[in-house]
Amino acid sequence: MKNIIAIAVGGAIGALARFSINMQAESPVGTIIENISGSFLLGILTAYFLIRLTKEWLRLGLGVGLCGGFTTMSTLAFDSVFLFQMESFFVVLLYLLITIFGGIIFAFLGFFLGNKLAEIQINKAEGTE
Amino acid sequence: MMSIISVVLGGSLGAVTRYLLGIYINQHVKKTSMPVAMLLVNLIGAFGLGLFIGSFYGITNAGENADAFYLFLAVGFFGAFTTFSTFSIEAMGLWKEKQYKLFSIYLLLSILGSILCFISGAYLGAFFIN
Repeated sequence: MKNIIAIAVGGAIGALARFSINMQAESPVGTIIENISGSFLLGILTAYFLIRLTKEWLRLGLGVGLCGGFTTMSTLAFDSVFLFQMESFFVVLLYLLITIFGGIIFAFLGFFLGNKLAEIQINKAEGTE
Repeated sequence: MMSIISVVLGGSLGAVTRYLLGIYINQHVKKTSMPVAMLLVNLIGAFGLGLFIGSFYGITNAGENADAFYLFLAVGFFGAFTTFSTFSIEAMGLWKEKQYKLFSIYLLLSILGSILCFISGAYLGAFFIN
């Protein structure tokens, strides 16, 4: 039950943050920002929690809830169809390439950063003992 | 205020549904190296969003009307039910394991699959309404 509540809260915050960005940036640009930054954040969390084990509800709330709710695949599909109608096939292709490879590259960067953060914390903890 | 409540409610429901459906799929689908659970969730969610858009807003003038119902279902529920960050992480994992063929298949199935599911949903929705 604790896990479910954590995911619900994380999902609510993630969706609200996505909605706020959509209000500031136009549709395809907003979705690109959300999906890439969300992949970066989940990369950090994934690496960090691999090394620094934490409570399951916190891990699920941040990963499944927050990052999962913040990023979206259904809007990506919607954007693609919308862009195809309004712009051209080339714009759709560009949009998809930026999102997919941006997302994966930033997941890698986040993973690297999360790894480093966890290592620094462990070294610090060992130093104070 | 109404719009914030709609997004928050839809978002929390969407995230919890994704989690529970993910567990259910993992229990019932044979384990493979392909991350099937979130792939299926994304395909179902894209189809659902298409069905909703096609039924209530039509395919051509989509995205213009942002009423509370739209914010609850399209932005909140389907937005949070489907996910891109997990897709990126799973793709990263396949690349790290040097499963390049599976990586390419996973990318194509996720992205083209979601777009095709959205379009099928939208046409089906528009068909039933008219």
